Amino acid sequence: MWGGGAVSAEDRVSRDEARTLMRRTLAMAAPFRKTMLAALACVIAVTLCTLAGPVLVRHGIDAGIRAKNTRSLNFSVVAYIAVTCIAYCFGRAQYIFINRAGEDLLRVLRLRVFSQMQKQSMAFYDREKAGVLVARMTADIESMSELVQWGLLQFISAGFLLVLAVILLFTLSWQLTIVALLVMPIIFVASIKFQRDSNKAYLDVRERVGANLSALQEGITGVRVIQAYAREEEQVRRFRASNDALYKSHMHSVKVSMWYFGLVEFAGIFASALIVGMGGWLVHRGSVSVGTVVAFVLLLANLFDPVQQLSQLYNTMQSAGAALKKLYGIMDAVPEVDESISAVDLPEHGDLVVSGATFTYAAGAQPALRDVSISVPNGKRLALVGPTGAGKSTLAKLMARLYDPNEGSISYSGVNLRDATMQSLRERIVVVPQEGFLFNGTIRENLRIAKSDATDVEIDNALHALGVFERFMAFPQGLDTEVHERGSRLSAGERQLVSLARAALVDPAVLVLDEATSNLDPGTEKDVEAALEALMQGRSVVVVAHRLTTVQRADAIGVVDHAELVEWGTHSELVQKNGKYAALVNAWNASQPTR
Amino acid sequence: MSQAESHKQDGPATAEGWKLLRSVLREQRRGLMQGVVIGLIWSAGKVAIPQLFKLGVDRGIEQDGSLLFWAGAITCVGVVAGVFSAWRRWIGFRESRWTESSLRERIFTHLQGLHIGYHDIAQTGQLMSRASSDLGQIQGFVVMIPLTISNVAMVVAVMLILLSSQPMLAVIALAPLPFVNLAARRFSNSIHPAILAVQAEQAELANVVEESVSGIRVVKGFGAEATQMRKLEKEANDIRGVSLGAAKIRSKFLPGIDLLPSIGLIAVLGIGGHRVINGQMSVGDLVAFNTYLTMLIWPLRNIGMTVAFGQRAAAALMRVNEVLSTEPAVADPPKPQALPSRTSSAFTGAVTFSDVSFGYSAEHEVLNHLDLVIQPGESVAIVGATGSGKSTLARLLLRFYDTSSGGITLDGIDIRQLRLSELRRAVAVVFEDTLLFHDTVAANIAFAEPNAHQDRIEAAARLAGAHDFILELPDGYNTVLGERGYSLSGGQRQRIAIARAIVADPRVLVLDDATSAVDPAKENEIREAMTTVMRGRTTLVIAHRPATIALASKVALLDEGRIVAFGEHSHLLATNAKYGEVLAAQEKNIASLTSKTAGD
Repeated sequence: MWGGGAVSAEDRVSRDEARTLMRRTLAMAAPFRKTMLAALACVIAVTLCTLAGPVLVRHGIDAGIRAKNTRSLNFSVVAYIAVTCIAYCFGRAQYIFINRAGEDLLRVLRLRVFSQMQKQSMAFYDREKAGVLVARMTADIESMSELVQWGLLQFISAGFLLVLAVILLFTLSWQLTIVALLVMPIIFVASIKFQRDSNKAYLDVRERVGANLSALQEGITGVRVIQAYAREEEQVRRFRASNDALYKSHMHSVKVSMWYFGLVEFAGIFASALIVGMGGWLVHRGSVSVGTVVAFVLLLANLFDPVQQLSQLYNTMQSAGAALKKLYGIMDAVPEVDESISAVDLPEHGDLVVSGATFTYAAGAQPALRDVSISVPNGKRLALVGPTGAGKSTLAKLMARLYDPNEGSISYSGVNLRDATMQSLRERIVVVPQEGFLFNGTIRENLRIAKSDATDVEIDNALHALGVFERFMAFPQGLDTEVHERGSRLSAGERQLVSLARAALVDPAVLVLDEATSNLDPGTEKDVEAALEALMQGRSVVVVAHRLTTVQRADAIGVVDHAELVEWGTHSELVQKNGKYAALVNAWNASQPTR
Repeated sequence: MSQAESHKQDGPATAEGWKLLRSVLREQRRGLMQGVVIGLIWSAGKVAIPQLFKLGVDRGIEQDGSLLFWAGAITCVGVVAGVFSAWRRWIGFRESRWTESSLRERIFTHLQGLHIGYHDIAQTGQLMSRASSDLGQIQGFVVMIPLTISNVAMVVAVMLILLSSQPMLAVIALAPLPFVNLAARRFSNSIHPAILAVQAEQAELANVVEESVSGIRVVKGFGAEATQMRKLEKEANDIRGVSLGAAKIRSKFLPGIDLLPSIGLIAVLGIGGHRVINGQMSVGDLVAFNTYLTMLIWPLRNIGMTVAFGQRAAAALMRVNEVLSTEPAVADPPKPQALPSRTSSAFTGAVTFSDVSFGYSAEHEVLNHLDLVIQPGESVAIVGATGSGKSTLARLLLRFYDTSSGGITLDGIDIRQLRLSELRRAVAVVFEDTLLFHDTVAANIAFAEPNAHQDRIEAAARLAGAHDFILELPDGYNTVLGERGYSLSGGQRQRIAIARAIVADPRVLVLDDATSAVDPAKENEIREAMTTVMRGRTTLVIAHRPATIALASKVALLDEGRIVAFGEHSHLLATNAKYGEVLAAQEKNIASLTSKTAGD
C-alpha cells in the first residue's frame, strides 16, 4: 500500500543521531566506494534522461511542428530515441550496482554484529532476551534491505529529479513554475500529515495482526483442551472479537490513506488546470510558447512523483535508522569478560581455588555470591548443593570464568583466571551444561563444536572412552546422521551423551557439571551415568548436584544458601553436624514415595 | 518455490478453490458492484481530462476562448477524479478485507470443530499460514478486482478514442503497450520465487543466530565462536547471492517496463508531428494523443500484475479450500440421546469399555479387544509401561477418536449417541502437558464455566492447592497468564489445570498424571485435596509414576492393548509379577534430591 515499515515514538532517530549513523555507515561502506559511485553515476544518468524526454518534445513542437521545420522535428525524434536507449542501459546497470553495494553493506553488517555479539560475556546474554538478539540479526537488518534494494535508489533519484525538474521549469518559464508550485504546499502538508497518521495506523495494524495471530495459534494448539471442555463456540467468539478488531484497524488505515491519494490525484490535475489557464494567458501575451505549456504539463508528473516518493520513503528511512541505532548499540558493547593483554597459558594441572569471591549479576542487585572461599584439589570431586536460587550454579560458573567475580579471585594452579588466555582456559576447564544442546547439522559436526580441528579418529576415541561409540554408530548414517531441528531426532539422554562426548574430546583437567534434573528413561539413564563416570575419571570435578547418589560419591560437599557457603566437608562430616545438609538429606528421604 | 509446485497441481483442485472464492464474493456482490461503478466514474473523469486539455489548448490558447472556463472545467473533473479515487480505494479495501476476515473466521471455526486426528497430523505453522499469508494473497487479489475492471474499461475507452481520432497513429503508438502488460506479468512471476528464495536464506541465517544465542553456554564453554562465525558467514554470503539474483531479475524487467511506453510517445511525436506540419491534425490533438498514451501505462501494468496476483491467489485458495472441505471425522449423531439426569441419591458416571480396539494408524494397534468396567464413583488407576496406551483410554472416552471396533458407554449410553458437547461436559481431563490460555487466572480456572462465581473459582483453586500461590501473583486471580503474560512453573500450571477440571464438575474425572510436575512437598498436599474432589466421583488416574497410584482405590494393569489385571494395589503387587516389573521401571525415574530447578 505504501512504503516502508513504521517506527514507534521511542525508536525515532534525532537529527544528530542520524548524522552519526550516516557517518559510521559510510565508513563501514568505504570498501565498496567504487560500486557506490558507479551506482550514483547511473542514477544521475537515468534521471537526466528522464528529464530530457519532455524537453525534446517541447523542442519538437516549438522548433519543429509550429515552425514547420521538419529537420528540427526529426532531430527531436532521433535524440529522444537515443536518450531512451541510454536510459535503458543505465537503468539496468543502476539496479545491479545499487544492489551490489547494498548487499555488501548488509553482509558486512551481519558479520560485524554477529561477531561482536559472540564476543560478549555471559552477563550480556543474561541481560538481553534471546528473542531480541535474534531480532537484531534478522528483522532489524532485513528492515534495511528494503532501503538497500530500492529505497536508496529511489531516494537519490527522486531528490535529484525534483531539484532538476524545478531548475528546468524555471528556465522554461519562471511564471508558470511559480503557478505550478502553488499546489506544492498542499501536497507537502498532506504528505506530512499522512506520514504521521499512517505511521500510527500501521503500528496499530501490526499490533492487531500480532494479537490475531496469537488468538489463532492459541485456538490451534489448544484445540485438545477446547474440545475436551466443549468450549469451541466460546473460543470462536473470542477469535471473532480479535478478527473484527483487526478488520476495523485495517479499515482505519485505509481511511487514513484514501483521502491522501485522492488529494494527490486532485492536486496533479488542478496543477495542469492552472497551467492551462495561466499558460494560455501568457501565450496570448506572447511571453511563453504553446510548446512550453505542453512540456510543463508533461514535466509536472516529474514534480509530483518525487515529492510523494520522498515522503513515503521517510518512514523507510526512519525505521532503517532506528534499526541501525540498535545494531551499533550491540557493536559498541564492551565484553565484560575479556582476555588481558599479558595473558598466559594455564598450567596443565593444579588446584582450583576460590578466595573471597563476591559476585552480583547486575549492578545494584543483591549479590548472588558473598565472600565465598572454597577449593578443589587436583583430581578431587566437589559437589555443590542447596536450594533453588541459592547461588550454587553461579559459583560453578565463576569457577569456569563464565563471569568474573566483583571481589576476590579464582585461580588455577596459582594463576588468576583473569590472567589466563581464553584458549587455554577453555581447554583446561570445561562446563557441561545440564541439557544437551544440539546445533543443526550432523552428530559429528555437533561434537566438533568442542574442538573444530578434531580428527575423525579423535572423535571416535572420545566416544570409545565414554563407552557410547556403538550407540551412535547404530544411527542410520552413524555419526553423519543429521540431528534435525534442535536434535529432535535424538532422545534427551542421547543429547546429554553428545554433550559429555564434547567434553571428552577437549580432554580437560577440570569438569564443571550442572546435573540434569529431568528424568530419562531407565535404559538411557544407565548409559549416561556410566559415560559420566568415565568422563570424570582422573579429572577435578565440580558438580551442581540434585541427586543424593552423586553427592555421596563426592570427595567434598559445599552447601550454598542465600549466596553464602554455609557448610563445607565430607558427607559423613556434614550429616554429623546436623545442619542444613542433614536437613536436605532428610527432605529427600521424605519425598520418596511410600509403598 | 511453493508457487512452482502449485502450478503443477491439477486443474480440479484449483477449480474448487475458485468456486470457494466465487461463493464468498457472491455475498459481497453489491459492494463489489458499487466499487466497479465508482471506479468507472473515476475512469471517465481521467479519460475526460486530456480531452478537456486538448480543447483548452485548441480553443482557449490557440483561439481566443475563455481560459477561465477550461481551467475551471479541468479543476471540476479533478475534484471528481480525486473524490472517486478515494472512494474506490475505500470500497476495494472494505470488500477485500471483508473477504479475508470472513474466510479467516470460517477457517478458525472449522478448525475448532475438526477431529483431533486431523490436528495430530496438521502442523500448527501450516494451519497458521492458511489463515494468515494465504488469506493475504487472496485479499491482495480481491482488492484489485474493482480497480482492474475499471482499468479495463478505461483502457478500452482510451483505445477507442485514440483509434477514432487517428487510427494509423493509434496503431503505431499502441503497439509497444501490450508488451508492458506482458513484461509486468512476467516480472511479477519471476520475482516471486526470487523473493521466496531470499526469505528462505534469511530463515537459515536466523536459525544459526537462534542456535548460537540459545546455545551460548555451549558456544562459550568450548570457545566455538569461530565455528559459529563460519556458519554465519556462509549464510550471509548465501543471502547476498540470492538477493543479487533478485536484483538481476529487477534489472532485466523494470527499466524495460519503465521505458517501453516512450517508444509510443516518440512515434507520436515523429509521425504526428509531420501530420501537424502537413495540416492533417492540430497541435491540441497531438498533445491529447500523447496524454492518452501515458494514461494507458499504469492501467496496463496494473492489469499485468492482477493476472500474476490471480495465479498466486488461486494457489492460496486451493490450500484454504483443502482445510475448509475436510469433514470432521468425529461429529454429533443425527439423533442424539441425553444422559440420565444426575440425582443426589444415585451416583452417576458408570463407564464401560467393551471389546475396544483402536490404533492411531491402521498398521499399529494400540488397544486390542480391551474390556474395562468402572463403577459409578469408583477411582481406578491405569498402570502400564510407557507406550502401552494408558492416555489413549482417556482420549477415546472424550471421543477425540472413535474406536475402530467395540464401544464405550457412559451411564449406559453409547458415547457415539451423545451430543459431543454433552459428553465432554460430563468428562473432564487434566492432561499430562498443561495448556493455559492467554487470559486471567480466574478465567483459566473458569474455562468450562465462564460465568462461574468467584467463590466457586476460589474453592476449586483451594482444592487444587493453587489458592496460596495465586494470591502471591502480581494481580492475584486477575493475573494474565500465557505466552505474552505471566509464566508459571510446571507444577503451578498443573494445579491450575486441576482447578479447571474441578470447576467443570464432571461425572467422570480423568487425571493424566496430573501431579508429575509438582514438587514432593506439594504433591502430598494435592493428593489430599484430590481425595476430596474424587469422593463420590468416578475417577480415572493415568499413572506414570507409582506415587500417583495411591490416589485410586483400584488398579488396572494395561499390557499389550488389554487390561490384564484389575484389583487393589497390594493384591496385585502380591499376585502379579508383571505389575511389580512395571512399577520397578517407573520407580527408577524418580530420584530428585531437590525440587525442579530452572537453571538456578
